[in-house]
Amino acid sequence: MSAAAGRSRFVARALRQRGMLVWSGIVLLIALASVCAPLLTDFDPNVGVFGDSMAAPSAEHWLGADRYGRDVLTRVLYGGQVALLAAVEAVAIALALGVPLGLVAGYVSGWFDKIVMRVVDGVMSVPFLVLAIAVIAAIGPGLANAMAVVGVVYAMSVLRLVRGEVLSAKEELYVDGLKVSGVSGPKILFGHILRNIAPPVIVQATLMFATAIVAEATLSYLGLGVPQPTASWGSMLSDAQHTIRENFFFVIPPGVAIFLTVLGVNQIGEGLRDLFSREIAVGRLGLNVVHPAPRGQGEPVVEPGEPDRPVALEVEGLSVSFPHQDAGRVTVVRDVSLRLHRGEVLCLVGESGSGKSVTAMSMLGLVSHPGTVTAASIRIGDDEISGLDFAGMRSIRGNRVGVVFQDPLGSLNPTFTVGNQMREAITAHRDVSRAEADRIAVELFERVGIPRAAERLADYPFQFSGGMAQRVMIAMALSCDPDVLVADEPTTALDVTVQQQVLDLLVSLRDERGMAVLLITHDLGVVAEVADSVAVMYAGQLVETGPVSEVFTRPRHPYTQGLLDSVPRNELATGPLASIPGVVPQPADWPDGCHFADRCPFAVDACGGEPVPLVLLPDRTRGVRCVRSGELDLPGLGDHGPGTEPVREHADSHVEAGRP
Amino acid sequence: MHTVVRRLLAAVPLVLVVVSATFFLSLASNVDPAEIILGGNATQEQVDALRTDLGLDRPAFEQYWSWLSGLFQGDLGQSLYTRAEVTDLFTGALPVTLSLAVGGLLIGVILGVGMGVLAATTAGSRTDRGIIMVSTAGQAAPSFFVGMLVIYVFALQLGWFPATGYTSLAESPGGWLRSLVLPSFALGLGVAAALSRQARSSMVIALQRDYTRTALSKGLSRRRVVLKHAARNAASPVVTSVSFQVAQLLGGAIVIERLFALPGLGSLTIDAVLRYDPYIIQAVVLFAVVVVVVVNLLVDLSYTWLNPKVRTA
Repeated sequence: MSAAAGRSRFVARALRQRGMLVWSGIVLLIALASVCAPLLTDFDPNVGVFGDSMAAPSAEHWLGADRYGRDVLTRVLYGGQVALLAAVEAVAIALALGVPLGLVAGYVSGWFDKIVMRVVDGVMSVPFLVLAIAVIAAIGPGLANAMAVVGVVYAMSVLRLVRGEVLSAKEELYVDGLKVSGVSGPKILFGHILRNIAPPVIVQATLMFATAIVAEATLSYLGLGVPQPTASWGSMLSDAQHTIRENFFFVIPPGVAIFLTVLGVNQIGEGLRDLFSREIAVGRLGLNVVHPAPRGQGEPVVEPGEPDRPVALEVEGLSVSFPHQDAGRVTVVRDVSLRLHRGEVLCLVGESGSGKSVTAMSMLGLVSHPGTVTAASIRIGDDEISGLDFAGMRSIRGNRVGVVFQDPLGSLNPTFTVGNQMREAITAHRDVSRAEADRIAVELFERVGIPRAAERLADYPFQFSGGMAQRVMIAMALSCDPDVLVADEPTTALDVTVQQQVLDLLVSLRDERGMAVLLITHDLGVVAEVADSVAVMYAGQLVETGPVSEVFTRPRHPYTQGLLDSVPRNELATGPLASIPGVVPQPADWPDGCHFADRCPFAVDACGGEPVPLVLLPDRTRGVRCVRSGELDLPGLGDHGPGTEPVREHADSHVEAGRP
Repeated sequence: MHTVVRRLLAAVPLVLVVVSATFFLSLASNVDPAEIILGGNATQEQVDALRTDLGLDRPAFEQYWSWLSGLFQGDLGQSLYTRAEVTDLFTGALPVTLSLAVGGLLIGVILGVGMGVLAATTAGSRTDRGIIMVSTAGQAAPSFFVGMLVIYVFALQLGWFPATGYTSLAESPGGWLRSLVLPSFALGLGVAAALSRQARSSMVIALQRDYTRTALSKGLSRRRVVLKHAARNAASPVVTSVSFQVAQLLGGAIVIERLFALPGLGSLTIDAVLRYDPYIIQAVVLFAVVVVVVVNLLVDLSYTWLNPKVRTA
């Protein structure tokens, strides 16, 4: 995907709306031609010339003449009158009956609502055509009768729609507010609610108009609508069927007339609906491939861990961009490089919107469409994984990299047992029997601290508490003994009391298995507790990385220092909680120079010009992106005296302290 | 199992109300079958005699009661014209209509869900737009127009299938299948169009959920992610939509039977309407309501199967 693709999506949407205009024009033209039929043609639609029977299209009869010698074009035009009139009748009856009854039923509820809905259920339980036929049998054929029946049936679905909308509109606060402020009941009903329910009703009415045209044609085709010899598109098709073996052509004009009109009206309805909703595109399902970027041109890779341990994960020059309406394309993650050794915990920390989750997801090709990911290199151990196709990535996902997500209950499939989901995670990468997979699953459940492990395999996710569900996720992520565990805000959605247990579990698993953990969090308390090294992200860039002990005691970037300042501490004398003024700007508004400059208390003119590079400190274990990092002397946690470790009891006060 | 029985019993009042309403509607009709049967030249005495003979001169409630008590004994009454038992007429016509409806449903579900899933997994692409276009067109084309087109192409031009007529299964299984292909297609296309839109939209939603991302993060194949994880969650609205379509199919079958000259319930119904034969029409309404009730019940049961939360609650 490129900037061009982003534009084409926008253009496609605009085109759709233009398509609606075109279709409106076509429908209008058909309607106009039908209404003006007497002016457009001199033939009588119902009386033919015997000698013209089955005449082929000619200058006189543009679309030929049928077996009774009647001009087909004339009959199509007059048939349009019948179709439009019938559709107007049905839709008018449906609205006149459905809207008021739906409004009242929804508004007063109670016994009236109950009775009305029973009637609706009764009418809707009979297939519409069968009902129409039964009623026509009793009251006699004829178009007006037929379409009245159609209108009543449609009224039921309008009623249902309006009632539903009123019920949900009633829930909304403003109706309560109006009641309190003394506006009378009916006024609320017809003023405010009506305005709210208008869009879905208009869309519904348009689509009903289209089906009413088909209904008229169907009934007339069956001989239950207009009486012969009146021209209707349906009765013309019935006539054409009689002569289909002699001349197939006569099927085409009425068929196409119905098709075009119905398609046109439908398109108008769809266009109207589109005006109220958003277009969805998922792209190539399941893989947003990492495109290659030139190597060696990116920023230096900082080595915060112990260099003698083997590298588990290395990322070089990872960038992610998304198409944007005005800016063409915005980069939400820019040139991120990370190195993580076996047995280490690296925390990627930053406010919401800093790009930390996108960074992690993009490595595995899981960034949402239409994002574009590029990287010079992404390595798991010695294996390059950037550029892998779906099959290649499959052997990495769940096998060498396990992922734990933020919301465990949403991340587990609600319709399958956890045992089923565990088993497939195991068998996806290991050639084991079902029984063996179950045994492994029980073992993992026991390891992550799920009581009654064997029984619980048969349970569904909703039968687990949030904390237990997260243990299931962790067990699942561990099922193939991965080299790297990516944990994306694994404790954020959990109760504070459970957060600690889950963190302890992650650390003990790391100790036991020697895997590397990439932990994404916005909680500095979590970082202080479990991380070996930390990478601070701000507005799509790494701003500071290094060993956690050093970064926390001697921050080199004003943003890091601001974050540390905003963490509540276990002391009384710090006064009001400090916070960073302002919020993370939107990606389209990120400046060329330092992204943090407009919130930074130390900003100078030099911060605003050129992009600021990430600079390695001499020992190569730390990197910082700040033009003034050499001259600033920023206080860290140690400078506040002893006992200033961030305290877990306050773990729910997040980095987002910058927000009011 | 007893949920099924309870639900079926709960539906009995609805069925009774609908068929009773139909019955009284036909009684209130100003059409006199006796006059129609005897034609315009009959004397009033002849008409009255026939009315007595047919039992039409009895009080409304008595007619209703005898019809209703017959209903509970499996007696649906007689045709006023041929004096044939409606039950017998039904027995003859039902296999035709069922074959056609099942055929249409199969084509509709397979084609519709297939296209919908394909469109969803490629949402925004050319394939997706193409499928949307086909289903929009499919919804706009009336089944009898599509039917005439396929008759022309596949029967009259290519000669692959018979243009009209029905061969029973007992007579020739191959002929039975051949006589059903075109009608089923004409009937199923509209169903497929409607279902593909529903399948696409609920599938697109399921594919954007967190559990789909989890399934991908486990290294599962696309097929498994789509057909297992997303499909199970996307199924409920599609199943609901299928149940609506079954009701549509019963109506659509009437038209298609007429077009293809199939001797099913539809042809029976049209003839009955045109000459006014009330017991046949009531039997058709009864049949339709029962089918809808049973289908709705099956749909509700499928929810319990598809949604474990309902099952274990």
